[in-house]
Parts: sequence; structure tokens; C-alpha cells
Amino acid sequence: MSSREIGASNDALLQLSELDTFYGPSQVHFGMSLHVRRGEIVCLLGGNASGKSTTMKVILGLVKPRTGEIHFDGHDLRPLSTPQIVRLGIGSVPEARRIFGAMTVRENLLMGAYTRRDRAAVAEDYERVLEIFPRLRERLQQRGGVLSGGEQQMLAMARALMGRPRMICMDEPTMGLSPLFVDKVLDLIQTINAQGITVLMVEQSANLALQIADRGYVLQNGCIVVEGDARDLLLSSDIQEAYLGGQEYVI
Amino acid sequence: MAQLEIHNLTRSFDGVLAVDDVSFDVRDGETVSVIGPNGAGKTTLFNLVTGVDAPTQGRIDFDGRSLLKLAPQEYAGVGIARTFQHGRVFGNLSVMDNVLIGAYARSQAPSRGPLVELVRALVQGKAVREEERALRREAEEILALFGERLLPRREQQAFGLSYANRRRVEMARALMARPRLLLLDEPTAGMNPTETREILEFIRGLRQRGMTILLIEHKLSLVMELSDRVVVMDNGRKISEGAPHVVRNDPKVIEAYLGTKTHERERTARSAPAERGSGGDGI
Amino acid sequence: MDPTLRTFIDQTINGLAIGNVYALTAVGLALIFGVANLINFAHGSVYMIGAYVGWVCVTWLGWPLPASFAAVAVVCGALGVALERFGLQGLHRKARIAPLLATIGISFALDQATQLLFTANPQSFPNPLPAERIALGGVSIGAIDVLIAVVGVSTAGILFGFLRFTQLGWALRATAQDRDAAQQMGVDVEGVNRATFGIAGVLGGLAGALVGLYFATVYPTMSFQAGIKGFAANLLGGLGNVPGSIVGGVVLGLVESYGVAAFGATYRNLFAFAILIGVLVVRPAGLFSRRRTLPPEPMTGTFVPNSRPVRVPRAVVIGGIAVALCFPVLVSDPYLLQILTNAWLLAMVALSLTLVTGTAGQSSLGQAGFMAIGAYASALLSLRAGLPFEIALIAGSLIAAVLGTLLVLPAFRLRAHYVAIATLGIGEMVNQVIANWDGLTNGVLGLTNIPPPSLFGIEMVTPRATYWYSLALLLLAALLQLRLLRSHLGRTWRAIREDDVAAQSAGVGLNRYKALAFAVSAGMAGMAGAFSGHMYSYINHETFASSTSILALTMAILGGMGNMVGAVVGAVLLTALPEVFRGLVDYRYLVYGVVLLLLVRFRPQGLLGTV
Repeated sequence: MSSREIGASNDALLQLSELDTFYGPSQVHFGMSLHVRRGEIVCLLGGNASGKSTTMKVILGLVKPRTGEIHFDGHDLRPLSTPQIVRLGIGSVPEARRIFGAMTVRENLLMGAYTRRDRAAVAEDYERVLEIFPRLRERLQQRGGVLSGGEQQMLAMARALMGRPRMICMDEPTMGLSPLFVDKVLDLIQTINAQGITVLMVEQSANLALQIADRGYVLQNGCIVVEGDARDLLLSSDIQEAYLGGQEYVI
Repeated sequence: MAQLEIHNLTRSFDGVLAVDDVSFDVRDGETVSVIGPNGAGKTTLFNLVTGVDAPTQGRIDFDGRSLLKLAPQEYAGVGIARTFQHGRVFGNLSVMDNVLIGAYARSQAPSRGPLVELVRALVQGKAVREEERALRREAEEILALFGERLLPRREQQAFGLSYANRRRVEMARALMARPRLLLLDEPTAGMNPTETREILEFIRGLRQRGMTILLIEHKLSLVMELSDRVVVMDNGRKISEGAPHVVRNDPKVIEAYLGTKTHERERTARSAPAERGSGGDGI
Repeated sequence: MDPTLRTFIDQTINGLAIGNVYALTAVGLALIFGVANLINFAHGSVYMIGAYVGWVCVTWLGWPLPASFAAVAVVCGALGVALERFGLQGLHRKARIAPLLATIGISFALDQATQLLFTANPQSFPNPLPAERIALGGVSIGAIDVLIAVVGVSTAGILFGFLRFTQLGWALRATAQDRDAAQQMGVDVEGVNRATFGIAGVLGGLAGALVGLYFATVYPTMSFQAGIKGFAANLLGGLGNVPGSIVGGVVLGLVESYGVAAFGATYRNLFAFAILIGVLVVRPAGLFSRRRTLPPEPMTGTFVPNSRPVRVPRAVVIGGIAVALCFPVLVSDPYLLQILTNAWLLAMVALSLTLVTGTAGQSSLGQAGFMAIGAYASALLSLRAGLPFEIALIAGSLIAAVLGTLLVLPAFRLRAHYVAIATLGIGEMVNQVIANWDGLTNGVLGLTNIPPPSLFGIEMVTPRATYWYSLALLLLAALLQLRLLRSHLGRTWRAIREDDVAAQSAGVGLNRYKALAFAVSAGMAGMAGAFSGHMYSYINHETFASSTSILALTMAILGGMGNMVGAVVGAVLLTALPEVFRGLVDYRYLVYGVVLLLLVRFRPQGLLGTV
């Protein structure tokens, strides 16, 4: 198990280095580093309370690390607010989807394009997104809150796409979905990626996420303990070890 | 003899089963842990057991007596003490006062009507003063269990303590109730490995002295080392139960944590990661 | 047409007109609650300023109504934005009670500033509209009714369009639903916050101007009633629920109108308080929600700020008491003695408040109500039953303790800000009942010739005697309180304040200790009220106004929550300082408001710190 990142790469779109993050007095990240290259699907794996979701919040500026650096495409994200970070081209599919339940599906989608002023292009994207998610087209005037869990997940993904992001952060996109929808969501993530959008996804279900990812990291108690090519990780027993613990409590 | 018995416990929120027909028990002197991936229903289960939430169906008995009719403040009286997920101490109170509150349910001061209590607090007769002194001595003994961590700081306000020390204060408060069942909600959340190790040793010490413990914890290595039995939940259901090494190798548990490996998906061919224009000409 | 029916229709039109105005006020509160998760106590002040701006434009500048209304909208919108920017920004990260206190401080400052500019007297606001009434089948409608209807409906329409079709409107709705998710869409939620306060300001200001026109008068204290009524309407429709607030406002207006017709004009304000408390207790989520609970309080931060109290050496305290005791020997200026007597009595109220709010964590804005109960009970017992002063004082204090606790009892299930609102309403309701219960309290005429304080049959009427008497009572109260705080009871109260859930898990029953805290507190406030009544020899339903409750709160916060020495120091500072610098007397409430605002921002733990 390596606890440090091996050779941060130059062509990284997103680079997190040596993060220490705290919630009040309790520490979540202990010198955590990772990077995402352009066009990749990277999944960040880990058990409960390993610090996965906090990583997403740190990237989006919702939580600020105490020390360490975050760079996205040459920009230092640490001093920026969440709206500024979003404007740089980072889209978000938040944990538990967080769609606007009292707004219609159409309004939710257009909220995704909130930062954009290019109306014509937004209208085009709106059509294109509905092509990818035809189910949403049938529900445009319904309130987001009445959609099923799977539909809400699609809406959250579509909403993120409406911002024309260069990278999308997805926090547990398959959580709480039926197996049928899980497959569908994973297909859609690949579709999105195929259009040139970099994807960083947080998942607990390692075996699912690694099937569509290029690379994976495993977080344990706020440290990256395993990293590597997705195929290698799928076959190795390191992950099971990291999730379920060894026989001895190793420090 | 079973102390805590959970029978067919179910809790649904708007038709979604957060806890689905879960049964297990915790016997005298045992340490039982509940684990499971995110969203498995552990927190809901813990809320049900601690009386914060009420089940849709099922029973929770403690020493053969139903807990479901008890208000949250009545749990301490029957011998159940708990700690909270992120440590809830009384920030502006001294460490000593924090621990003394733990003895509330068994102290004489509030045992009669509120007016009697008011008058006794005003008069502070001999019996009242003596009880207070005895409780203070006892609190110091409990603080001493944590070595030099808390004892020298007993008159400091709790908000100034380190995170780990606050969690220790919380445990000291729970112990001060002299509970027969201790419910620990992620006692090592947010702690570094050294602190985790210390808490592990502390819980092990409690266990050796015969304390009955129900533990919810994410750090599985700690669970494996401390528990007599482990209950594994996934999607609201109990999927496995048994000794740590049994549960750890149960395929159902591995699948719950790592996801299914059964039908491998075909990877769609994708163009190699390529340089993209800064506009993001994606969709 | 049947005259009964005609009266009924007239009352309905009245109720709809006033209800429309309440709805406008309530919608502003609902928007602010939805977006900023805050109950804005300063909303009534914005409303009052709207009324004054309208009055200035119409009667001083002679502007036509449309231009005047435009001016109201601009000024009050800007005021709303400024209020958020300079009063509230950044406070959500501080103690939970901080934003509440800030809006109270702002409200004090705005009300007093208006009073300084335009005097406390009501100003006549002649209605420039044509006087003829439109006859409709035996019922007549005035031009002002039509104006209110037009402004109300068109504002609602514009607001609907804004929320539904504009980008800012969407951002506002998204922020209200899920602040974090809105940020992740790139919404600048701070900006949305400010815009919301601006919009709420416009609506509140327009409502104030309309009411000024409707009753043909404007006065600085109209803010308080408006704030309470707007809040009652908002609560009725569901906090944060915009359409619900409109319905709530209209319902409240109709209830008031029919109620006044049935019981008389003095009952007007009672209905709002009754609805307020009734809804809080019985249906806290409002009429239209399926939920039976209030929306959760913002849980960030603790109730009171963490701080290390300043240790005041015992010698300093004893020295201070000695100086206070010797003071009348050295100084004979009766004016000064009278001011300090007032300070001692207010210090008792501040002590009582610092017990229930500072120590037990139940924000009470109802202390004035407890004072009124104590004062009336004691005065009536000596006037009607001929009891000697000492007995009447003790009895009055006990009656305040029992009655006060019983009145607050239904609010025990509420938390933090809602307790503040409920106790404020209870305090006001006590005064309303006093004003209307002619048989017992002599109604609005008040009680006269109350016997002066006495001890063993000797009357204490000289400034020195009342000074020592009140000081002795204060010291007695302080000793009792100190004893309680040092017992397990003090520890238990403070534990409830810090974390009621954790306290419960240790076996602490919350209601019992809330009741004990309110009983001791109400008894102490009642004693201060009783003594004041005998000292003044005259009391009425306005002697113990809610501003006294808020003043006591400011004193307790200035000293440090739960800090007894702090409460007394705060009382002396805030009572005596404006008098010492004579020039400040007129600006007193302005000073209180500003002190509160500055404290919340720069020294939330008060001068001597939380105990």
C-alpha cells in the first residue's frame, strides 16, 4: 500500500496536493493528494467516512482545506468561491442529487446553465441534453421532487451538463438506485465522457465504478492508500483489504 | 441472558424502508458492533435504539422491558448511556461539570418534585453537599481512567479541549451514569491513528471490566478487533451476523461493500484521453 | 339590503384591505426566512420607514401618489439591502442567537432615529385620494380600498412573475430550496441574500405607506405591531411559504375586522398575538403544511458563544456593593438617586433574564409581561385587599412566577428563535389582557394611588429610602440566584443551554428545568415590576412595554450571558450612561440598538463573558 501519490503528472487538469482538511476540530484529510488528467474517468473509492465526499466539497470550494493546494487548469482554487469555481468549468452532481424539488424539470435544467450568457448555445445544449436523457423530455413540466430516484439522478447529471463543464464531479451517482438504473447511469457517465468531459466520481461500490473508470484511488481514513489503473485495481485484493480491514489494526 | 433484544425492527420513511425487519440481541458483557456501507440504515437503527426516532414496526426490549414507550431522557434511568457521532459536550461547562451531568439520573437531588428540588438547591443542606462531594470524587476516578489526558484539565471549559479530549469527556460522562449498556456512535470518527489506537485500548479496557457495549463504527479494523459479534446491514436489512472473522469473509458482506462483480460490464471503447480546448466543446 | 348583511360586507371589505397589507408584510418575512433562514425582527421598522417616506413625499413634497410610492420602494429596497450588508453579513457563522439580536438592534436604532427626526407624535397623513365612495348595491367602497387592492394584487403578480420568469427569481427560489446546490450551479448566494432583503424591503415599505394612508396617520411605534402581525400572518401560512403568507395575511385581516366588530376596537391587537401563539403551539408548520413541526433552526454554532468569563475578584464585587450602599450618604442629588434606583430595578430584570436566557438558554422577550403581572398583582392586593406592601410584593412575585410559567408552558416544545417570538407574544398579550379586563385591572385607565413601598409599616418615599430598598431587594435576588447557580440546578440549566439533546441523554427532563427557570425568572421580574408599581403609584397597560424586555436583553448581553455581575454592570451602564452624558438621553434607544449591533459583531460574549 502506498500512502503517497506517485509522480504528480504535468498534464493534470485537476491536481490536489497534500490536503489537510478539518470539520471544526475533527480532521478529515491527512495529506491527501490526487490528480485527474484531461478526458479521464477517475474514481475515488473508499468505505464510509473515509473522506470521499469531503474531497468533492473541497474541489467545489464548499469546504476549504487548512493546508495543501488545489489547482484546476492552472488556476489556484483555494481563494475562489464556489460560484467562481463553477464558472471555471467544474460541474457538480452532488451527493443525494440535491435537485431543486419545488422547481420544474425544465427550470432545474436551466438552473444548470445559470452562469452562462450565451442564450443560443444554451438552447442548443438544452436540446442535446434532452436527446441524451429522453426520459426527462417527457417530464419537463413536472416538479423535480416528484421524479423517481433514478430520474432525479439523470436530472442532476443533465443539469450539470447544462453548464458546459470541462470536468464533472459526481458524488455517489449510483447510491440508492435499482440495479437497472445503476447500469443506465454508468452508461450515461461513459457517454458524457465520450463527449470530452473529464469525470471524477466518488463511489463506494468499487467493483462497479472501476468497470468504467480509467484510474482509481482508494481513500482510507483521509489518506490515499491505493492507486492505480482501474483494471489492475479490479483484479487486486488491495481494495478489499482497504475496505474491510486487515486482521490486525495496522498503524 | 440477553440484555438488549431487537425484534423485527422496521422503520419506513414515506414507504422507503430505512430499517427493514432487523433482529439481533446484545447479551450481558458482550460487545456487539453494527457495520454497513453508507445508507445501510445504521444511523436510523441507532436513532431507534436511543429513542430519538420511533419504529414503524417491531420491538426493542431491555431486560425484558420495552424501550419504545420511554422518552429520550428516561433511557439513562434504566441504565442506558450513549455517546454521539461527533461528540456533544457542553462547551462552556468545565470538564468536571460535564462529567457530573452524567450522574444526573442516579443522583438524589432531582429525585423528588421540582419545588422540593428548588428548595434543596437553595438551602443546600448536609445531604445535598455530601452527595455532591461523593459524586465529584467518583468523577475524578473516572477522569483518571484516561490517564493524564483529562484530570489536569478538569476545571477547564470543554470548548477549549482538543477534539479527541472532547470525545473522552463524552465517554466519561456516559460512564458516570454507571450504565449497564453503553451505546457508542462512531467513537473514533475524525481521530488520527494514534488517538484511534488509544480509544481502542480504552474500549477494550471497558470490555474487560464487563461492560456491555453496542458499537457503531466505520473503521472496520477496529470493529474486527473489539467485537464479540458483528451485525452487518445493507439497504436496511441485516445481511450477516457473527464473529468478526466470519463476517469479514462472508461473500454477501464483501459484495455489499465493494459492489457486485457477477456480470462484468463490457467497457465501451473510448478515445484515448486527449487534449481539449478550454471552452469545453463537449455537449 | 339587510343592514346586518351590509355591515358584514363592510367589515369584510375592511378586513380584505388590511389583510392585503398584512400579506405584503408577511411575504417579505417569508422570502427572508426562506432564503436567509432568519426571522427578521427589523422588518416592522422598514415598514414604518416606508410609511414615513410616503408621508414625507405626499405631505411635505406634495408629490403625486405614484411618484411617492416609487420613492418608498426605492428607499426601503435600499434600506433592506443595507440592513443585510452592514447588519447581518457574516453573522450566520457566529452564535445561533446572533442574527436575531442583530435584527433587534437594527430595529431599535431605526425606530429611535425616526423618532428623533420626526418626533414621537403621530403625524397626520391626509389621504389625497378623492373622498367619494363607490356605491355597489348598497355597499360602498372607498378609493383607498381600491388602491390597496390594486397595489396588493399587482405586487403579488409582479412577484410571481419575478420568481417564475427571471434569472434572479430562479436563483432566489433555488437558494431557498437548497443553498449548497444553488452555489454549485454558480449562484452567488450572498448576492441573492442581499437581493431578497431588498425585495422584502420594497414590499414592507409599500405596506407601511398603504397603512399610513388607510389610517391617515404615521407614528414611530407602528413598527412593532406591524412586525408582529406580519410574522403572525407568515406563521399562519407557513414560515417561508410565499403564497401561504398571502392567505395568512388575508385571514388575519378578516379575523381582526370581524373580531373588532364583535368585541370592540381595543381587542384589535389581541387577535394577532392569539393567532401567533396558537399557531406556534398547535400547528407550528402553518395551515397548509402536512408537516406538524417547525422548520429546523439553523444549527451552525452554539446558542451562546464560547468564552472564558472574566474573573472578577471577590474584593471588587464587595467593594462595588459597599460603594453602592454608601452612595446616598455621599450624594444627595435626588435625580441621580432616582436614576440609580431605576438601574437597580432594571438590574433585577436583567438578572432574571440572564437566568432564563443566559443560563438556561431559553431566549425570553417576555420579561415585561412578567413585570406587569407582578405589578398588577401586588398593586391590586394592596389596593383592594389592603395587604401591607411586603406581603403584597412577595405575593405579586409568586403570582408572576406561577402565572408566568403557566403562560410560557405551551412554548416549551419550541426552540431558540421561536421561544423568543412566543415569549414576545406572551408579554404583549399580558398587556392586551390588562387593557381589556376592565373589571379587574381598570382597563386602559390603569391603577392609581398605589400605596408606596413600606417596611414594617414605615413608608419609604424619599429617594434615599427607595434607593436602599431597591438595592436591598436586588442584593437579595442576586444572592438567591447565586445559590441556585452554584447548585446542581445551575449545572443542569447550563447543560440544557449548551446541548439539550445531550442533556436529555443524561436523563435530564427538559420541561421540568425550563419550568423552574421560568418560574424563578418570572418571580424575580415580577418583584421588580411590583416594586416599580408601588414606587410610581400609577401603572397602566403600557408601563411595562416590550421595549423593557428588549432593554433587559441588551443589558444581559452587554454583561455576558448567564453572568450575574455582568447583568448588573450592563444595567447600570445602559441606564446611567445616557443620563450621565445628558445629551444622550434623547438618543437612548438608538444607543441601545447600536450597542447591541456592535456587541453581536465584535464581542458576542459581552463585557464579562458567558458563564
